[in-house]
Amino acid sequence: MTTELAANGKPFVHHHGAHCETAVTSALFRYQGVDISEPMVFGIGSGIFFGHLPFLKMTGLPITAFRAKPGAVFRKAAKRLGVDFVVKTFRDPQKGMDELKQVLKTGQIVGLATNLYWLPYMSERHRWNFSGHNIIALREIEGGFRVSDPTIGEPVDCTADGLEQARFVPGPLNPRGHMYYINSVNLHPDLRQACIKGMKDSCNAMLKIPLPIFGVRGIRFLAKKVVKSLDKLGFQEACRHLAGTVRWVEETGTGGAGFRYMYAAFLQEAAELFGSDELADLSKEMTAIGDNWREFSVTAARIIKQRGKEEETFAKAGRLMLNCADREETLFKNLQKVVKKLKA
Amino acid sequence: MELEKEIFKDGMPKGYYTQNDNGKYVLETNHCWSEEVCVAVIVSEVRANIEKARKEVLSGLKSPLYYHMEVRQMDPKFLAKAAGIAVFRVKRHMRPEIFAKLKPSVLERYAAVLAVSLEELKTVPNR
Repeated sequence: MTTELAANGKPFVHHHGAHCETAVTSALFRYQGVDISEPMVFGIGSGIFFGHLPFLKMTGLPITAFRAKPGAVFRKAAKRLGVDFVVKTFRDPQKGMDELKQVLKTGQIVGLATNLYWLPYMSERHRWNFSGHNIIALREIEGGFRVSDPTIGEPVDCTADGLEQARFVPGPLNPRGHMYYINSVNLHPDLRQACIKGMKDSCNAMLKIPLPIFGVRGIRFLAKKVVKSLDKLGFQEACRHLAGTVRWVEETGTGGAGFRYMYAAFLQEAAELFGSDELADLSKEMTAIGDNWREFSVTAARIIKQRGKEEETFAKAGRLMLNCADREETLFKNLQKVVKKLKA
Repeated sequence: MELEKEIFKDGMPKGYYTQNDNGKYVLETNHCWSEEVCVAVIVSEVRANIEKARKEVLSGLKSPLYYHMEVRQMDPKFLAKAAGIAVFRVKRHMRPEIFAKLKPSVLERYAAVLAVSLEELKTVPNR
């Protein structure tokens, strides 16, 4: 936790977060005076999701998303909390940078979507072509910007060239200088109503999308693929794909176990807010599901490291995943029932 | 084994939600072992790709463009879309004899996308 000053001298407190977008959103809210935690934003913005996109590849590996698409969490959370916000994208990089400077001068802090590879301060293990990383620009400094990256402990300096490169990565999944900021907030938002909306939306996203690659069905799809991958791709390649999947589960700012722990934290907070024991039970179940995902990732790591060849197989990894799918299906069905009973 | 420890010693720990003794969720920076393994697999693969590309360029099989593409972790499709050049042309430009004949205007487009100077684009580091 470090305090920084924005352009107009208003203090901004930098919090370390687990996930870039929710942490940025919660920081923007806090800066405006609404104290709201990161898991709360994640739940209200319906961040939890699953999607396996075999046709969209990054560095040769398919995308497995455990969260809603970048940008959606902020938009949904802001709408549900009754916030006046601005979202902008640009075709021309120069215009995008000018606009950013102008908004910063008015004392706003601005959320930016950037590409992880081109951010100059990132270390090697974080650097890959992923265009959905969110940071906050605090103010302009000489030759660059002061930015607060919530996945890192401290605010850092970023060169203007580097930031421009990262905001306008040409090619597929171009963030197009996506920037967003909050004009004014409702200081006493209706949290209960927002939570109910968020939970309902999450249930629909996980259970009702009629495509086999999203939601609970998507997990089953991927599980079957993992089981088959050994015969289909050979050991080396199958390990690579498995490593790619586990990277999505553990590494890409998920707060552990593919956001499942973060959602459990949200359910815990919601249980306190509504005084509901049922939600507390669901939170415990979500934690168990998170443990299940973690077990999957550890199994995968053991396969890659070739430890305990007898018991750690691709079939076991697939089975663990199917187990996750079944448990999540029951959980979200129960959540649907519980939400109906809650009063705003 | 060393690589795993090395790449995680960058002073940029990520946050993870874990339960404390009372069952309440708090943010901590202890990562899971499986993450280390998988990130190491991917990082070593990227490094190996770059090294392989460098050797191929030095032995005259590929053009320097191929090396710089690998350094930026792109593939021909990505690079083609970024530079605004057709994929089949980008793939052709990976051949050294064709790359040598390219017009400066085309080279400049590649240089801008890959964020290297024109001189760098025509060479690879000879470690």
